[in-house]
Amino acid sequence: PSAPTSEPGADSMRGDVPVDEFGLPQIPQSAK
Amino acid sequence: MAYWFHRNPLKATAPITFELHGVSTNDVTRKIFSDMRTSRTKLLELLVDPNHTVEILERTSNEYFALLQGLYQQIDPNEPENKLRKVLAFKWSNTLLPNPAVEARDAVYEHVSMAINVALWYTKHAAKLAAKDEPDMEEAKQVHKCMRTAAGIFKFVKETLVPKLIDSFESGTDCDTRVLDAYIKQCTAEAQEVTLARAIELKHSSGLIAALAYETAQLYTDADSALSSLDEKIAGKWRKYCQLKLNFYTACAHSYNGETLLAQDKCGEAIRGLQEAVKMYDKAEQLCKEYATAKGTGTTARPQNHLFFRKLGPVVKRTLEKCDRENGLIYHQKVAYDPPHLELRATYGLVSPEEYQNPSLNPLWTPDAYSKFDVSRAPKPEKKKADDKPPSLAPVKEKETPMSDKDPKNVSGCVLS
Repeated sequence: PSAPTSEPGADSMRGDVPVDEFGLPQIPQSAK
Repeated sequence: MAYWFHRNPLKATAPITFELHGVSTNDVTRKIFSDMRTSRTKLLELLVDPNHTVEILERTSNEYFALLQGLYQQIDPNEPENKLRKVLAFKWSNTLLPNPAVEARDAVYEHVSMAINVALWYTKHAAKLAAKDEPDMEEAKQVHKCMRTAAGIFKFVKETLVPKLIDSFESGTDCDTRVLDAYIKQCTAEAQEVTLARAIELKHSSGLIAALAYETAQLYTDADSALSSLDEKIAGKWRKYCQLKLNFYTACAHSYNGETLLAQDKCGEAIRGLQEAVKMYDKAEQLCKEYATAKGTGTTARPQNHLFFRKLGPVVKRTLEKCDRENGLIYHQKVAYDPPHLELRATYGLVSPEEYQNPSLNPLWTPDAYSKFDVSRAPKPEKKKADDKPPSLAPVKEKETPMSDKDPKNVSGCVLS
């Protein structure tokens, strides 16, 4: 596999949910 | 978030010339000492000013630590202990105990002390960025990253360096693991505050915000507990800061949890939770006053002036009034006797310290260069006399950063979003 390009915690997934650099879901509940 | 964070002072130190004529016997050994003197002086100059960039601070501290480790790491496999480790005496003050300063003939002590100052710089740099009128997204990320970096350095000091120290140190010094634990928890909590502010501003679910606020309150509880067995005179002010924050975030957790409960038609429980939030918020306000007059070192934060703090009180009261009204009109539920148990596990946004990458030994430290240091020529330490005064150091003159007292122009009052 290729080396990760982003720093740890940045734009990753938590389970099936994409999260931002702060570890928060990218789509807030209120926007759903 | 001007004046939102409490900051302890930098540690003061005595200059070290690294001039050990006779010990350094050739050009390479002289260069090692000369480079150490230069990089130490440069690093101390940078540390007083939080306006420098992270890159320059990181580069300079790595340069110094890469050289310094040659004074205590094993270089000759036939020597169990580095012969240079006790050659120099390093004198430092402590963040909670400015004087008397503590002197130790141990290069690890120098690494511990300087690394703590570097971590403190990261916290001050983060406070400076957070204190802008309207920090942008990139700056919010930097604040978050700086606080995690600081937490990682404190963790490295506690877990890797302090166990290597030759001497044991008095209660309340910066080598005291309780003090280091408090720093680790405070830095982690403050990074999490940034995430929480963002979660509120982006209108994430009340369940997510309540859980994150609760976990943040727990971190401040841990920081306060770490300091609880220290003398009130030295740790009292710092503890009040932790206590006011833990009460504030518990109020925040109860408030958002109340919204979740109301959405689940559990109005009686919601009312009791919101009553608890009002109580905790009032306690936080009281603790702000006590903090402002408490004894101890450090800058005085003014969280009670901040819009984020000021807004929570009316929000909690309004939500409670709304719940009372709806209970009277619709639910007719009995108000719970005990407040809801906040056992909220945050799934998103939790912060952990950034693992510190200790620089590797400077390549000047070859076995050949090491063999050319002659410690038999080192000056003998002076014997202490009974009437010797304890060493004292003047406090570090830290560069003040202007902080804005303007209210942010957004919904939550949290500017870090």
